[in-house]
Amino acid sequence: MKKTLREMRPVYVVGIGLHRYQRLSETPYVALGLTAVREALRDAGIEWRSVESAYTGTALIGMAAGRPMLRHLGATGIAMAQVENASASGSTAVRQACLDVASGLTDVSLAVGVDKPAPLALASAKTNIRDLVGRRVVPFTHFALLANEYMNRYGATAEQVASVAVKNNRNGANNPYAQRQRAVTLEEVLAGSPISGALTRLQCCPIGEGAAAVIVASDDAITKLGITRSRAVRVTASVSRSERVYHGAKNFDAELTRETVAQAYDEARISPDDLDVVELHDAFTIEELLYVEAMGLCGEGEGARMITSGEADIGGRCAISASGGLLAMGHPIGPTGVGQVAEITRQLRGEAGVRQQPDARVGLAHMVGVGAVCVVHVLQKDA
Amino acid sequence: MPEGASESSLFSASPEPALNGGRCRACGYVFFPPQWYGCESCGAPAEQLEPKSLRGEGTLASFATVHLYQGKDIEAPFTVGVIVLDDGPAIRAILAQRTDEGLRIGDRMRAVVVAVDGEGGRANELRFAKQETVR
Repeated sequence: MKKTLREMRPVYVVGIGLHRYQRLSETPYVALGLTAVREALRDAGIEWRSVESAYTGTALIGMAAGRPMLRHLGATGIAMAQVENASASGSTAVRQACLDVASGLTDVSLAVGVDKPAPLALASAKTNIRDLVGRRVVPFTHFALLANEYMNRYGATAEQVASVAVKNNRNGANNPYAQRQRAVTLEEVLAGSPISGALTRLQCCPIGEGAAAVIVASDDAITKLGITRSRAVRVTASVSRSERVYHGAKNFDAELTRETVAQAYDEARISPDDLDVVELHDAFTIEELLYVEAMGLCGEGEGARMITSGEADIGGRCAISASGGLLAMGHPIGPTGVGQVAEITRQLRGEAGVRQQPDARVGLAHMVGVGAVCVVHVLQKDA
Repeated sequence: MPEGASESSLFSASPEPALNGGRCRACGYVFFPPQWYGCESCGAPAEQLEPKSLRGEGTLASFATVHLYQGKDIEAPFTVGVIVLDDGPAIRAILAQRTDEGLRIGDRMRAVVVAVDGEGGRANELRFAKQETVR
């Protein structure tokens, strides 16, 4: 019989660690990744030898990135694999680690995301299927087209779309791991270099380097290794889906998110009203408006109002992108989805400091990968 | 291979500019760009896929003027549109006009063949223009 994650053995996030997201530097990826993993081990209070499998989420470094990094923690002979799923690589690494523990294959598993900017080599360019635009349409124009359609449909203004960047940069300014740590004004966002359509520079996420690590464990491991149970956060849903054919001119990004999140709510047995914190794929400002609607956090066409009303601020009804999101924390690809789970964990533990969403108990992490794929996790305190 | 739609496999210039799409005989799904691997909608194999000419007329569903472009095959700014073809599929195309001046969602659009100078010499591209500006 099929089972959901929640019906399997309980899985808990017990350790989180990051290397700051930053512009490309001379630092080898090995050093970035080790910083995040060692911080996660310290956070969990466990030794590397307790970790039984390791998934490295990475899209740009190259074949077999895991062991050249992880061997420096002591070569214990554990199962290792790299996970590539475009922007959702890190989220998928988290999912694989959770599945190992949930199934009983392991008691402790690691997901680490690490990447450094490098030229893209998209497989879709090798299908011999060509269209009328080719590389003239890159992600920022894909989302500029969605922004234009959204603004026309709902009468949303350029100011409302840009206000997402103001909120997320305000949050990022208080996140020591964020690539952009400076609050910006609406005027500054709007006056930035035009990129495509209504999108200006600060409405597009920075792609830099960095690393993030999450250690997941079973109840047995928490007991046996003496991990602090009160800081463990349960993963109650892990859902991964891909795009279908959506007939007509439907917005397939929103549809894919709607389907994936609906399944995650169902598996975790929660509703959107239960969410206190959400980290979503805000690579471009317009995406946050599309996804809060697709997630049912507000009605269709109400995304702009939700963001500008303060409901999505830290301290509001549901804090969206409290880390700064992809727009401010950054989007180094492999680390991004892992970093989202780290932020949700920090929030649900009540350890997010000035970024703390009060009384946060339920959180959701959402990533979209080009192609398109969508990966969603639900985390709950005391579940 | 140039980035633009200069390949005759994607469109026919005469008698009227038309797109070379495809249709699935098993489920009726009409698609563009053409591919002969298998139907994305129902999974029918290549034998069930047939060429289908799509009229180069449709309605503008969204547009964006691209200001940042590092390729050499077209100069920014240029404008991209999503056009829902009268024959079904929603496609993305470069618009004949460089900026979005005077464009509105819902505008009727028509395919036009434009001769473009590129690295490989002069080539024809299929672009879309507002209907009243075509003739």
